Amino acid sequence: MIRYEFLMQIRKRSLWISMGLLAVITVLGQGDAGPRYLPDDASARVVASSWAFLWSLLLPIVAGMVLADRLVRDDRLGVSRLLESLPTTATTRVMGRFLGALAATATPIFLATVIAGGAESISREDPAVLLWTPIAFGLVLLPGLVFVGAFAMVVPLLLTAPLFRVLFVGYWFWGNMLGPSYMPSLAGTLLTPVGDYTASWLLGERALYAGADGWLQLLRPEPNGVTAALSVALLLGVGLIPLLVGSRVLARRATA
Amino acid sequence: MDITIRNLRRRFGKVEALRGVDLELSGGMFGLLGANGAGKTTLMRIIAGVLSPTSGQVLIGGHDMSTRQGRVAVQRRLGYLPQDLGLYPDLTAVEFLDYIGLLKGLDDRTARRRQIAELLEVVGLSDVANRKLKGFSGGMRRRVGIAQALLGDPALLVVDEPTAGLDPQERIRFRTLLATLPGRRTVLLSTHVVEDVAQTCRETAVMVDGRIVFTGAVSDLVRGAEGVTWEVVTSGPPPTVGEIVSAVSDAGGTRYRVVSVTPPDPAAIPVPPSLEDGYVAFMQGAAAGRSSA
Amino acid sequence: MRAVLTDVSSPLLWRYESRRVGVAAQAAPAAALAVTLLLTAFTANAGGSRADIERLLLTGLEAVVPLAVAVATVTVITRDRCRELHLALPVRYVTTLGRRLVTLVGAAAATAVIYSAALVATGWWSGPAAPASPLVWVPPLLALGGLAMILTVVGRSVVLASSGVAATWLAQQLYAASLASHAGSRPFFLFLTSRYGTGEGWLLNRFALTVTGLCLLAVAVTALSRPGAAPGEEEQ
Repeated sequence: MIRYEFLMQIRKRSLWISMGLLAVITVLGQGDAGPRYLPDDASARVVASSWAFLWSLLLPIVAGMVLADRLVRDDRLGVSRLLESLPTTATTRVMGRFLGALAATATPIFLATVIAGGAESISREDPAVLLWTPIAFGLVLLPGLVFVGAFAMVVPLLLTAPLFRVLFVGYWFWGNMLGPSYMPSLAGTLLTPVGDYTASWLLGERALYAGADGWLQLLRPEPNGVTAALSVALLLGVGLIPLLVGSRVLARRATA
Repeated sequence: MDITIRNLRRRFGKVEALRGVDLELSGGMFGLLGANGAGKTTLMRIIAGVLSPTSGQVLIGGHDMSTRQGRVAVQRRLGYLPQDLGLYPDLTAVEFLDYIGLLKGLDDRTARRRQIAELLEVVGLSDVANRKLKGFSGGMRRRVGIAQALLGDPALLVVDEPTAGLDPQERIRFRTLLATLPGRRTVLLSTHVVEDVAQTCRETAVMVDGRIVFTGAVSDLVRGAEGVTWEVVTSGPPPTVGEIVSAVSDAGGTRYRVVSVTPPDPAAIPVPPSLEDGYVAFMQGAAAGRSSA
Repeated sequence: MRAVLTDVSSPLLWRYESRRVGVAAQAAPAAALAVTLLLTAFTANAGGSRADIERLLLTGLEAVVPLAVAVATVTVITRDRCRELHLALPVRYVTTLGRRLVTLVGAAAATAVIYSAALVATGWWSGPAAPASPLVWVPPLLALGGLAMILTVVGRSVVLASSGVAATWLAQQLYAASLASHAGSRPFFLFLTSRYGTGEGWLLNRFALTVTGLCLLAVAVTALSRPGAAPGEEEQ
């Protein structure tokens, strides 16, 4: 099921075009502080992590939009009854679809990271950048994608896909990019899907608002290796919750 | 309403769905037969103004379908039942027909509601007129589909695969309904179910690979299978000569109906052909012609 | 029983189109504003200044309502179970879609007007003079809505259109300072009122956004008017 879900999503032209469009916007808008302008002596770890963090600002939006009606669509296409008749549990079906779709939406982002890493490896004549690229992707981008993807897949079952999409965009800004000094927000906490805690640890300096004082101070410890690991664990763990809820909702609808 | 089609082509990317279709018909019930993928639905969509052709000409009632004015003039007098008819599940049957009636320009509420009530009676859905469409079976949905197509008393009715997915009783009911439709109308029925055409149409065309390979009376198509239609009852393996049209379990074994130039079995007896036999015989001949070309 | 084609602007037809748009889409602006009010309450509770609170409230009108309409526009254009049937009717499908979008915008406008009036009445309004209050939300709504339509018609994909709208909205929020400070980009900055007030260049900004939005709408309508051009969801 994971394999076929992956194949179904990866073949979507719109996934690749959307990712490409947002990648271009991201690169063009990075400004002087972007990874392209890092000093020549910047370490491979810093260069790879900077690019991973840059991609994490906008590219996960596409993952959210792709997954937003994944489960809702099965009903619309008339496939849900067929799937319910299969000898698998609702949890298995939800997890299978989630993992396959996540892998598919993560693939273009991983490719963007590799392309940037490859280009930097060549221009800086430092092959180590390419070695750090998958590590940076795994630590900075992937936990946030799991978190975002899980909520994106399940919340529309309860709220409808269009309303979810509106709230998702607003959440992305409020929960990632809005400084906590401006208003209470989740930006800069251990639960920020943009990955600023792990990015801060890898970069050796604060990324965005990681650990900045603000609302829910308990979730704003000083960024370091331990808190970066904690952030990854929390994002993955909290990401499981909507998947479990989604399984229950689908199981109940099947017997209704 | 006369339909004249000349050298019609439609391409979807690299796939040529229609490869130079020529067709002329006027009045009555006309059946378009062909296997899945032959191009029937593409042709129906172009006639209904849903798709535009890549090239070629379509004239309906003298109106050129390549112009906006021509399309609108035809669509004002058109009833269309698409193959995949989506319905709005939150509307009742009456509400759905009311909505489509409004879009067809039937502004007089009283007349429109009266017409809807009459049509629901004709299609046998009066009892469930105020039930939401999401509770309708496949056959009921098709009947709502034909009712909306008949709104406004159209001069041209285009019906695409109307009996696909229906149970036998629904299919018989639908064919009976279709047979009552022509009157003063032109009805174009597209289907891969030969029996749909056999029971309702006098004229038919056969489509293969985006082309029309036969146009004429249904009886001519049937006649093409005279002398090559056989029945044989055997409890042994099926005949290997010719093409098996049907196989029915019998007391003495299995009764095979076979279209073949030569007797498929020493015990085979010739039988009068049906349209299905004629269709198979024609397709056999067409395939033989293609392979020898 | 001949059909006589006359006026198709029947109020009953508008009611049916409103049902096609759906309660969820029409309530999205109100729901999004409700979330904005919640966040504003949080901010006030956390000791936010009056200026911050006023700006947040105005952001709901200028940023959140247009976003909700733009995202819902994508769904309205792409999601129709009876699209093929509509294309065979004498009424242009673009007219039918237009009715639905007007319904959607009408619901958003009603929400925005009520919200603005409430802010004015309670003394929390920090935008232009009350009669000019529609200038806060109409131009960004037209611009973002027009963008949503173009992306939907050209891209034929909910994902592409939604992502494009989201990226534009987020990028404009992220790079607000840069966009507002450059003469070339300032007229096209969606959130000028809530970020920088109604000072110099504000009217030009509102005019430019309106014209941009109307141009995008015109192009989208022209594209939709071609036969067979109605975009469904991407075949998936």
